[in-house]
Amino acid sequence: METNPDFNKYMDRYFNYAGQWDSPSKCGLKVIQRKDGKTLAIATEIYRQNPGTPVTEWCAPLATQIMNEVQCDTGKFIFVEHTPDLRSKLAFYEETFDLVNFEVDDQRFVNPKWSRLTPEQVDAMMEG
Amino acid sequence: MKFKLIYPRWQKLEGQTIFNLPPHGPVVMAAEIPDNIEIDFTDENVEDLIIDESPDFVGISMMLTTQVKRGWEIADEYRRLGKKVIFGGISTMLHAEETMLHADSVFLGEVEGRLGQVFLDFHKNDLKKIYNFISTPPEMSLIGPAKRDILKKDLYYHKGFRMVDLFHASRGCIYDCYPCAVRYLGGRGFRPRPIDRVVEELSQMDNNRLFIVDNSLALDTQWEKDLFKAMIPLKKKWVSHTIEDKDEVLDLAAQAGAWYVYQAVFDTSDYIKNRIKQYHEYGIAVEGTILLGLDNQTEDDIKRLVDFLLEIELDLAEFTVLAPFPHTKAYSDLLKQGRIFDTDWNHYNAGKVVYHPKHMSAERLGELYQYAWDTFYKDEPQTMKMFNLINKVVSREIADGTYTPRRRDIADLSFGKKVPKVA
Repeated sequence: METNPDFNKYMDRYFNYAGQWDSPSKCGLKVIQRKDGKTLAIATEIYRQNPGTPVTEWCAPLATQIMNEVQCDTGKFIFVEHTPDLRSKLAFYEETFDLVNFEVDDQRFVNPKWSRLTPEQVDAMMEG
Repeated sequence: MKFKLIYPRWQKLEGQTIFNLPPHGPVVMAAEIPDNIEIDFTDENVEDLIIDESPDFVGISMMLTTQVKRGWEIADEYRRLGKKVIFGGISTMLHAEETMLHADSVFLGEVEGRLGQVFLDFHKNDLKKIYNFISTPPEMSLIGPAKRDILKKDLYYHKGFRMVDLFHASRGCIYDCYPCAVRYLGGRGFRPRPIDRVVEELSQMDNNRLFIVDNSLALDTQWEKDLFKAMIPLKKKWVSHTIEDKDEVLDLAAQAGAWYVYQAVFDTSDYIKNRIKQYHEYGIAVEGTILLGLDNQTEDDIKRLVDFLLEIELDLAEFTVLAPFPHTKAYSDLLKQGRIFDTDWNHYNAGKVVYHPKHMSAERLGELYQYAWDTFYKDEPQTMKMFNLINKVVSREIADGTYTPRRRDIADLSFGKKVPKVA
């Protein structure tokens, strides 16, 4: 995948998840334990390297799965979606970041709502 | 046992020439239904559906988002009669969770090698709520000829002219195009069929004119060249999506019977201009597919694009407005931004605006969509341009001895219905 030079800044490893209809799926993941005690997870859409469900379409179950794996609870978990710049001629593949807020139902995230972040805002969130 | 297979109707775009093509999904599915099952097929776009108690089992095959609500209605009626209903097809996959509310069973994925078990389960009264093969596509060599004899062929003629038959030579796509769901439907890899199986199917088709429905033929140069070489002796004439822009490939495509291609025109660049010119140099006509309402288009951009289409002498143009179908990046982006205001799936026909465009109101985009159609076809109507294309293929068919004359016995019918006489 062709990406911008800062790509790895937001991704430490790949994360496997069972997407919609149990499709084997994969995203990039960076988890940061912040000074304020909160956990920030950045999930990166990796397009062609993801054989299954895109991050956006599965973000509530994906965020729940990540939260459980890092042993966090819903009140201390921050989830950011990252779509990297694919260097496409089309503007739709520029880099974007979205903070995703969820409702919580029985320790599961549901009903995502997205709000756009600038890279500077993400960097500040990473600092905590 | 009688299996009633139904292809639901949908409302056609206003003001557009209606061509009902024989559907592809149902005939691909039918090829996998065990031989001892009697298939009774109804395409609601060309004939009325009579819902009664005669079938033992009902299948609904859906391709378009604009079919799903009608499909659900049909299923609800059959289920009230106590009949079991299974759904399949690509828009079943796009709308699976909603469809499950109206179904005894949904089939997700590709059917080859899988339907025997479904019918066995039906016989044992053990039909599963979901047959999920999305992540496990079959071996491509398993895909045999589609079962086209379920179609009532006379219904796919317009004034004695036979419509093209649909055919596919590959599945899946390596790209993540903004408005497209193929990566979800067919997987993120390009999966070509073995050439000998393609030729086997083509040889059995009695229609000389085809629409090769593959998402793109331009994904594997060697396979594409091998395919075209193998097709040359068959003398078919065909329509397809994009062909690769290498001269050697286009030359083989022309020899193999390329009639016209659908080419996305997304800007007014020299690249597009040269692409169209190159097709024309090989005698291949071009129908431009023009998607309106993308975030990088202002009103002026759309008007400039329409002027450009006239300059580059496209043979036909098809305008659509962006429809954010589920499982596309367009849907994800617009959903995230809270810009989708209409979720009535009947409106997802690529002619209605269901989201807030970035640079204009939804209403204004609707007006520009109409402007594009009207302006492009102002001097020469769509039917006349289509007639010119048909003349081109007829000349080639006469030259190579494959021409079949128009059927006079049904010249007064259009898709099975009487054509009103013009006074």
